[in-house]
Amino acid sequence: MTDFLYPFIEAQEDDPEALLADLAASARAKAAESAALQESSLRELESTIQACATAMAGRFARGGRLYTFGNGGSSTDAATLASLFAHPAAGRPLPAWSLTADQAVVTALGNDVGFELIFSRQVIAHSKPVDMVAAMSASGSSDDLVTALAEARRRDLLTIGFAGYDGGRMGELAAAGELDYCFTIGSQSIHRIQESQARVAHRLWQLTQEQLSTQRRTSPVTTPGGAR
Amino acid sequence: MSPVVAVEPQLMSEDLSADLASTALVLARRYQAGATLWVLSPEWEPHAHHVAVEFVHPVIMGKRALPAFALTGADAVGEARLASRPGDVILVIAAAGDPRAREVVRRAPAWGADTIWIGFGERPRPGSADHVLWVDSDDPMVPATGRFVLLYHLLWELTHVCFEHPGLLVPPAADCTDEVCITCSDEGRLGEVVLAPEEPFAPAIVRTATGEEEVDVTVIGDVSPGDLVLVHAGAALVRLEEDGR
Repeated sequence: MTDFLYPFIEAQEDDPEALLADLAASARAKAAESAALQESSLRELESTIQACATAMAGRFARGGRLYTFGNGGSSTDAATLASLFAHPAAGRPLPAWSLTADQAVVTALGNDVGFELIFSRQVIAHSKPVDMVAAMSASGSSDDLVTALAEARRRDLLTIGFAGYDGGRMGELAAAGELDYCFTIGSQSIHRIQESQARVAHRLWQLTQEQLSTQRRTSPVTTPGGAR
Repeated sequence: MSPVVAVEPQLMSEDLSADLASTALVLARRYQAGATLWVLSPEWEPHAHHVAVEFVHPVIMGKRALPAFALTGADAVGEARLASRPGDVILVIAAAGDPRAREVVRRAPAWGADTIWIGFGERPRPGSADHVLWVDSDDPMVPATGRFVLLYHLLWELTHVCFEHPGLLVPPAADCTDEVCITCSDEGRLGEVVLAPEEPFAPAIVRTATGEEEVDVTVIGDVSPGDLVLVHAGAALVRLEEDGR
C-alpha cells in the first residue's frame, strides 16, 4: 500500500513519466533563467560592448590580430569567439586565433615554464602593440589568464576580459584601470555565466563588424582577408 | 547601428524541453550500462571539446566523471566508425545539411550506437537520428550565440539528475529477446560491409549492432567495404544507396 502513496521511492521507481516531466520543467526553468540573464547582461553591458567594438575595429583596420584564451569549457568558448571573428558565416573575416589550439605549444610551456605562463609566453612570442587579447573565464581569477592580460597590457595590446560572479581578479584589474574592457556576468552558475558570455561575445563581434563597415567609408582596411 | 538584439524570451519550447528530457534519460541509461559518448562538430569543433570537458570534468564538485571524447579529425565518419562500440552514444553538433553529420547518423545503427543531433535550421528528416535537439532558427550565426552551449549544458545537467533515480536507469525490457521473435524476423537489420567476399559465393563480413558476422551477399552481388545493407536471416537482401535516397 505504501507504494501507492509513495510510488517513486529509490530503486522501486519504475515509471519514468514523472521524472521526464520534472526534467522537462527543469530545462524550461533553466532556459528561462539563462534568457533573463542574457537579456540583462546585454542591456547592462551594451555601452561597454560598443566602446570595445569601436576600439577593436580600429585595431583590425590597422592590421591588428585577436588572440583568445581560457581554461576548460571557457577555452572552447574562447575558440568559438576566435572562430566567429575569423570564419563568420556572414561579414568580413578578421584575423583571430585561439591560444589553446596548438597542443605542442601549450604542453611545452606548461611543462617547461609552468601552467600559469601558457598564455603570457605566447603573447610575448606572437603579439605586436596593435594586437588584442580576449580572456574568457567564469571566475575571472585564473592565474594563467590574469598573467597573460597583464603581459598584454605591458605591451600596449587591447585587453578584454570575460568574467562571472563578482568579476574576480579581472574585475579588480578593470576597477584599477589595468584592463581595458571587462564583461562581468553577475551570476553564481558557471553554466549560465558561459551562456551569457557567448551572447555578449556574439554582440561584440556584431558591433565590430558594423564599426568596420562604417570605417570602410573613411579609410581603407588593410587587414588580411579584409578584401572580401 | 543595429539595435540590441533581444534575446528570444523563449529559448526552450515545450517540445524541445521534452526532447531534452527523454534524451537525457537515454544517455544516463547508456552511461549506466558502460557507454562512451563521442562528440562531433565538424564546422564548430570547440563545441565538441566543450561537451567532452563538461562530462569528463564536471563544473559541479562531486558529480561523476563520465567518458566523453571529441572527434575532430578530418574524416568524421571514419573516426566515428573506429571509435564507437555497441551501446555507445554519438552526439553530432551540425546543421541539418552537413554531409558528415548525415553520414554518421545514417551509419550509426550498424555500429550499435545511439545518435543525438544538436543543430539549427531545417530539421533533419524524421528518423535520421535517434534524438534530435533542434534550434528552430536559420540564422547562420546560431552556433556562436550560446544556443548550443545552453542545450548541451542542460543535457549534462539533466543526465546527472537521472543518476539520482537508479530504478529508472535500467531500460524497459526489450520487446523481443530471442531469435524467434516474430517482429524482428520480419525486419532487416542495418549492416555495414567490413570485408567483401574473398571468392564468389563466399560470405562477406558485415558489421551490425550486435557485432561482426558472416553474411551471404549473393542476392545483391558485388559489395565493397562501407556499403550499407539490410541483413535478414544471415543474408543481405538490399543495398542502401547514398544517403538513403
